[in-house]
Amino acid sequence: MTAVRTHPQGTTPPPRLPVREKSGARDRGGALSPMLTRLAAERATGVLERERGSLYLAEGRVVHAESPLAPGLDVLLLAHGTLAPAVWQDAVDRADEEYGAARLLLDAGRVPRGALELCHLEAVFDAAYFALAPSSTPGHFRYGAGHWLGAVRPVPVDAVERETLRRRELLNRLWPDPLSDGAPLRRSDAVAAPTPTARQSAVLALADGVRTAPDIARELGRQAFHTLVDVRRLAAAGLLTALFPPPRVHHAATAAVPGLPPRHALAESTGTAAAPPSPGITLPRVNDPDITLLKRLRDALEAL
Amino acid sequence: MANTETTLKECLASIEGATGVALVDYTSGMALGTMGGSKTFDLNVAAAGNTDVVRAKMRTMEHLGLKGQIEDILITLNDQYHLIRLISGRGGNGLFMYLVLDAKRANLAMARHQLRKIEEDLEV
Repeated sequence: MTAVRTHPQGTTPPPRLPVREKSGARDRGGALSPMLTRLAAERATGVLERERGSLYLAEGRVVHAESPLAPGLDVLLLAHGTLAPAVWQDAVDRADEEYGAARLLLDAGRVPRGALELCHLEAVFDAAYFALAPSSTPGHFRYGAGHWLGAVRPVPVDAVERETLRRRELLNRLWPDPLSDGAPLRRSDAVAAPTPTARQSAVLALADGVRTAPDIARELGRQAFHTLVDVRRLAAAGLLTALFPPPRVHHAATAAVPGLPPRHALAESTGTAAAPPSPGITLPRVNDPDITLLKRLRDALEAL
Repeated sequence: MANTETTLKECLASIEGATGVALVDYTSGMALGTMGGSKTFDLNVAAAGNTDVVRAKMRTMEHLGLKGQIEDILITLNDQYHLIRLISGRGGNGLFMYLVLDAKRANLAMARHQLRKIEEDLEV
């Protein structure tokens, strides 16, 4: 039997390709949150707090959603000059149980109803996408808690769940690697890549190896999900890569200790990494253009 | 000044031959509001699918270096017209109105004119 050599003898073998996570595909089958379905059925009022965000319910319908990963309604409204920051702050300060901030703004004629409704709806679905993401910790519900914004346009729970699933599938179809959703991003050189659109160019310009997709969304005053769509399209085109593993500040500091001979510093850093298996040492840099190309090829073949 | 629901209602009520209408965010493909449609015509599916139509046209315009803005896109079927009218939202993202017309009853020129008027009232 002839052994097929994939690399010439005497050279080091190419690094092993990272295995893609399949968890995203598995989770799509089941319900997003059985607890949410139950709360909708019993027409509960309060706030459902989950690992990556919260959903506010009023009589079993979603009235608001928040997530640290999605820019809030304030960012969306203020970034594009729909509302002056002082006017927003004033409404937030004066809001109480009876008159939510939304109603104060509308009654004072500070913002057109259509604009507020749509911005709010988009902010709710944007935050709900993250709040309903698969999590490792159980969510909990606080009965009776309201939100200072007040109700704008309540949305049925099943509509939120359906849209969240549709969004997951859309992202998966664009580019199946979820790494770029949370990792720092940086530009990469692609051969024969399509020209990015104006919106995508704005995202690319902020990809500096430090900012993540949610950071970029906040900076541009755009919905986080919109940014994820652009980021996945750019990743598929080979114009953007996620830094994996994320840069470790601690390591850089150890290696840069003055006075230590380079060899010593190297031995020390590998020594510390050997105790808990560190992804920083064992996995190859996926920003290598060859590996990025191979990954794209593999993903394209798998998608067939 | 109108909210989304009254705008969608107005489309169905005042535009002759209109059978369904949706207001769609074209980056996410989400319908922010729908009205009309039927069991066999799911406006949410139409909304998501037609974002690809808008995206393809926008890309082509960028490739060609055309600086003009798309006002509307018309798709004619043998028995229906589908009219897509682009709107720029204040939230800094693109939206479009998607209108389904019955070809036998509709007056296309009139429908386009009315849709433009309705969009002007919708302050998004």
